[in-house]
Amino acid sequence: MKTRYLRQLAVAAALTVGGAGVAAADCPVKVGVALPTSVDWGKPIAETALWVTDMINEAGGVDGCPVETILRDTQVDAKVGVDAAKAMVDLDKVQLMMGAVSSGVTLPILTSVTVPAGVMQISCCSSSTRITGLAEEGSTKGLWFRTFATSNVQSAVLTKLAKDAGYGKVTVFYKNDDWGQDMASLLDNALKASGVEVAASIAITDNQPSYRAEVTEALGGNPDAVILALYPKEGIAVTREWISLGGTTKMVGANSLRSEEFRDAVGMQYLGDFIGADTSSPRTASASAFVEAYKAKFGGEPSGPGLPNSFDAAAISLLAYHAAGKDATGAEIAAKVPMVTDPSGVPVDANVEGFKKAMALLSEGKPVSFQGGTGAVTFDANGDVSAPAVSWVFTESGIDEKQYIPLEEVNAFIQSLN
Amino acid sequence: MIGVISYLAFFGTVAAILAIAVLGLNLQWGNTGLFNGGVAAFFGAGAYGAMMLGGPADPQQLGGFALPYPIAFAGGIGLAALVAWAVGLLTLRLRHDYLAIATFGVAVALEAVARNAEWLTGGAKGMRGFPRPFEGLFADQFTYNLAFLGFVVIILIAVYAGLERLVRSPYGRVLRAIREDEVAARALGKNATRLRLEAFVLGSAIIGVAGVLYVSFYAFISPQDMAPILTFQIWAMLIVGGAGNNRGAVLGAFLIWGAWTSSGFLLSKFAPTAVQIYTGPIQYIMIGSVIVGMLLWRPQGLLPERIERTKTGNEAPGENASQG
Repeated sequence: MKTRYLRQLAVAAALTVGGAGVAAADCPVKVGVALPTSVDWGKPIAETALWVTDMINEAGGVDGCPVETILRDTQVDAKVGVDAAKAMVDLDKVQLMMGAVSSGVTLPILTSVTVPAGVMQISCCSSSTRITGLAEEGSTKGLWFRTFATSNVQSAVLTKLAKDAGYGKVTVFYKNDDWGQDMASLLDNALKASGVEVAASIAITDNQPSYRAEVTEALGGNPDAVILALYPKEGIAVTREWISLGGTTKMVGANSLRSEEFRDAVGMQYLGDFIGADTSSPRTASASAFVEAYKAKFGGEPSGPGLPNSFDAAAISLLAYHAAGKDATGAEIAAKVPMVTDPSGVPVDANVEGFKKAMALLSEGKPVSFQGGTGAVTFDANGDVSAPAVSWVFTESGIDEKQYIPLEEVNAFIQSLN
Repeated sequence: MIGVISYLAFFGTVAAILAIAVLGLNLQWGNTGLFNGGVAAFFGAGAYGAMMLGGPADPQQLGGFALPYPIAFAGGIGLAALVAWAVGLLTLRLRHDYLAIATFGVAVALEAVARNAEWLTGGAKGMRGFPRPFEGLFADQFTYNLAFLGFVVIILIAVYAGLERLVRSPYGRVLRAIREDEVAARALGKNATRLRLEAFVLGSAIIGVAGVLYVSFYAFISPQDMAPILTFQIWAMLIVGGAGNNRGAVLGAFLIWGAWTSSGFLLSKFAPTAVQIYTGPIQYIMIGSVIVGMLLWRPQGLLPERIERTKTGNEAPGENASQG
């Protein structure tokens, strides 16, 4: 009864000043999740993360403790996201923070909340190279990880696909945000380094009623193919105008376009020559297990951007938490991440049985190799992922893998660009 | 307990920074009747100005002169005032809704500049690494944050006190006269155009102060921080608190920012797991409802404007507070 009384007091306090204290207990283990749930593509990312915690709980929880997620909406507003993260770190004493999506929100959370408090942060979806710079100068203190390949890997894979398809001159459409601008400059370098001419690189700003001006500019360059570093919403608008004005149907798209919405809105008849790039390796058993399990859970294909990445971010960080123990600090959890992603460790699958097996091995102090939705992820010294890549195509029935590019080949190609 | 204090200090800092911006808007709208729909532009100008002058050098872009904090501070305010002066010269001839649209357009344009001029602003990636002022003097982050809260509160009090003096002075009465009836003010020989521009620049400079403090606190600025939602937030704070009343402006800032953040906190705490995923949209609905309710039932705000009558003995009987 006393706790209830305290809670009511807490509510009253929160109503007036916007915050309240709840004493940290040993069990359950609290984990912060800061994601833009009020944005259409943010919700499935959050659902995936919550689904992983349910599975971890089913497998016995972190170090015998059930995981309690605290989900907060960032509203894609740095002020709101940082406040939510601060509340979770200070009031709920979380040692692990998952989030956010936009690098403009992730970066201030990292520098003003999680790193000063020694909390580990893992993001499914932030790709900004600014954060790599931050890690290189040591400002992230090894507390930062992400399962989204940096723009560097993505742009290299897109370049490789364009080059392999024999396109000599391409035009790039990129989303005019931090990710897109990063991609545009990296693509520019990569394409030129591999001998592909860049006819034009054109920024696409969200929510414009028409992209006729941009498309007309691109047509003037008369490219062999276009590279689309766009999200489905503006991707659909641009692609429709591009094709209706007579642009080529030879397109190479980033993983963000891996969506049925894009296929249905553009129309299959125009997507025959479309090649998509992604950094997952769905040939592994666990990756197809992820797809199957996702379909069973949500009744649809995991076709939105960032879903396998969100799955892996949650799974790897929670398994590391398990290995570090329920009373671990953020730094201790971060230190256990390599044990979960050890390529020489015992392979474990991304399902409840796999988690059980992984937890048992980790408890014995044995490393495991987590086989997730994006393959066998490994992090480099800056917390960035290097992952194998895959090309995919749209088909009448869905989205099919076309070609698997092993990690070594991706790395070799990136090396060849320098 | 330390955690609660730490969070409250953080909350207080952000709310106080926003309160300064609301005070700036109050001078423009509450006292002078200028509908500034581009609050985010002046906030951003202050933040980017300070970042360019005081931030660390970055080979990819202009700026990063790592100048001392007072110079960066003044520079941020100066940039906000400069932008306001230029915008004011062009748009202040417009009245009410036209001015609102014009200033909103300016804010969108400036956000687009910040997003695209990579050589100048770092583009969408933003700029980071602003050296937080006086950080070296404090042993740990916790005491530093408390001290920073104190610093922001002192500036808030100074701005508040200055504005209180200003609006009570004859100058403040002229601004209100322009707001109520510009033709009458002109007839009395007041240079309304000039006074409107002055109030606009001064109010925008105060909003710029908030921008400078924001970048000092987060050490990071990106175009996302000057999105139109910020303008909406500042306006909501002023409307709920009470336009024309400086105390109301501060109260509104704390209340709305408190409601904005605590609604997320409470939903994450008490909403059943099944609806947790919908807390984001629910939060928006709650915030929107509060503002609509305020406008319907108490449009003058929680603390309405109070006009002190000047004791001259023969004033007009009909003088009363306006809803603007």
